[in-house]
Amino acid sequence: MSDMLAIGASGLRAYQTALTTVSENIANAGTEGYVRRSATLKEVAAPGAMNTATVNCLGVTISGITSAGDIYRSAEVRNAGADLAKTETGAAWLERIEAALTGGKLGDRLTQFFNSANAVAADPSATAPRAAMLEAAASVASSFAGTGAALAGAAADLDASADAAVAQLNSLAAGLAKVNSGLGRAAPGTSGAAALRDQRDQLLEAMSAISDVSASFDSAGRATLRLGGSSGPVMVQGDQAGIVTYVSNGEGAASFALHANSETVSLAPTGGALAGIAEGAQRIAAARDRLDAMASAFTSGVNAVQANGRDLAGNPGEPIFTTGDRATDITVTLSDPRGIAAAVAGGGVRDNRNLANLATVRSSGGFETGLADLVTENAAALSTRRTVGEAQAVIRDSAVGARDAATGVNIDEEAVDLLRFQQAYQASARVVQIARETLQTMLDIR
Amino acid sequence: MRIATSQMFDRPTAQMATLTQRADAIQTQVATGTKFRAPSDDAAAFLRLDSLKRASADDTSYAANIKLAQGLLAQTDGTLESVETQLQRAQELTLQAANGTLSDANRSAIAATLSAIGDDLLALADTRDSRGQPLFDAGDPAAIPIGQGNSVYATVSRERAFGDMIATIRSLSDALAAGGDVSQAASQALAGIETGLDGVTAARASAGARAVRLDLEADRLSDVALQREESRSAIEDTDIPAAIAELQKTLTVLQATQASFTKLSGLSLFDYLR
Repeated sequence: MSDMLAIGASGLRAYQTALTTVSENIANAGTEGYVRRSATLKEVAAPGAMNTATVNCLGVTISGITSAGDIYRSAEVRNAGADLAKTETGAAWLERIEAALTGGKLGDRLTQFFNSANAVAADPSATAPRAAMLEAAASVASSFAGTGAALAGAAADLDASADAAVAQLNSLAAGLAKVNSGLGRAAPGTSGAAALRDQRDQLLEAMSAISDVSASFDSAGRATLRLGGSSGPVMVQGDQAGIVTYVSNGEGAASFALHANSETVSLAPTGGALAGIAEGAQRIAAARDRLDAMASAFTSGVNAVQANGRDLAGNPGEPIFTTGDRATDITVTLSDPRGIAAAVAGGGVRDNRNLANLATVRSSGGFETGLADLVTENAAALSTRRTVGEAQAVIRDSAVGARDAATGVNIDEEAVDLLRFQQAYQASARVVQIARETLQTMLDIR
Repeated sequence: MRIATSQMFDRPTAQMATLTQRADAIQTQVATGTKFRAPSDDAAAFLRLDSLKRASADDTSYAANIKLAQGLLAQTDGTLESVETQLQRAQELTLQAANGTLSDANRSAIAATLSAIGDDLLALADTRDSRGQPLFDAGDPAAIPIGQGNSVYATVSRERAFGDMIATIRSLSDALAAGGDVSQAASQALAGIETGLDGVTAARASAGARAVRLDLEADRLSDVALQREESRSAIEDTDIPAAIAELQKTLTVLQATQASFTKLSGLSLFDYLR
């Protein structure tokens, strides 16, 4: 009869643990990254002689807490997440470029400048249209400078966000190394180990949003993390984590390097935010180069026309713009409206033939169409990214759905388990009671 | 397949957010009247809109120049008409003066009138235009650009409008005032005035032709502007009825999603466990 008491007690212990596990699941139904756990029940049986009536079973025990983690589906979520993060980050920087290129209304102001020259041509000797033209020139200069400054600001922000992303990746890697060392010490099959695995998977997912990563696991669940595919350099192994650094050469070439195991390897991330940042850096630099080239061609073209013509005083025209290597360097130097060289040499004050050369600069330079092309190319790339991003978001969502279906908590299911284990617990208590009463019957014999 | 409880909340949240975004985008389209917020909404349409906008800005500046040129040409024509009238009067007076039967008193009266005509012509030659510039300036006037590679002379040069007309009339008037035989001077002046009249008539004809050209150009610009506005509207403007219908559809779906979410999320086995 003592066996029966022990069996009942083992049931009580086992179902208590099972109920605790269910409660844990319910409590964490909304917790990000929590993987449903279950208590594995196992019969305790001692080997006994065959064909005897002796009961040699000793009840039930919890063989371990298992979590429903699914490494393949988690890897799929990571891959889909890295792809999506790359596209979204790239798109965010393209949006910045778009805002920078269109915010200054540079195209409109260039048109306004050239059209103000038409008004001067209609009435070359009057000062009012000339003053209007100088104003238009000033607004072109400020628009070039503003657009250039917006792109420069985008480049600076990109550097800052690259630094932040790299710092985050490094701290996640350090966290993963800590979790790895925790996993090495935790007893397998405990809820502690399960919690560490959850943390590990969350860290991996967060890292995959920054760079494409691939992870392999040993029997204790410790992750070996490689950057960029299964043959990439190792960033985290055991409790050792490497460091990723970001260097920008200021001309749009963003480079990443991994320092791990006292070695330095250069990185070319193909996924995650880092890949989007690298792409954004390139595109911002390209847009800046084109804007600078356009600004320099525009100012030198206009100044050359000025120099060939004669102003109202009959002198060769002074330059309207100061030029520089960057669009941000452009300013207007001419302050006297009479200094606009509308006339050709010897043409007199009412001559406007030199302004026809300005129209030639406009059509041959193609500044307005060039800018529109730049905006359009960027816009086309951006709208492609958005379409791709939408598709990738669907892929990621379905990967998350598949993973959550395997690992998530369903409250109704837990309610059923709760009932089942509660009943089993109550029945075990009953067994203890019966055992006691049965024993009492023996003791009561007089 | 198991649906995790968190999914039952996350997924409808995302779906409702998408629907709200969509409704917001349509609402913005309706409120602003344009379909585009940024070039990336439709890159090809942006490029077309950009060139339409530029062409329209160019045409606005050309239209201003055309208006100015039309004003100048009208003033030129009006002034030349006065010149023509004065020259015709001078021609009549010269014919009278050439008549040998006139008395000295008559001749000096004619001389005074001719001198006044000379002054009038001088005043006409010095006419200033709406911009305060001499209407008839020495040398060719500046051609006003009225289109790409298209320009028009809005006035005529002083030489072309007046030639040496004023000097001719003045010398005849002087000769008449001096008295004596004026037949030689009168016939010379007559020939000169005839040439002058021919020149003025030709200048008026040419100004008239240019005014017609400007009118045609102005008409063309307004036609093109209309067509351009139609293209722009087709590309850029919100199709309000379609947008409203789409908004209604989106809102209906959103409401249905909200209702079904409320129902589904209210269901829990725990409610039935007593």
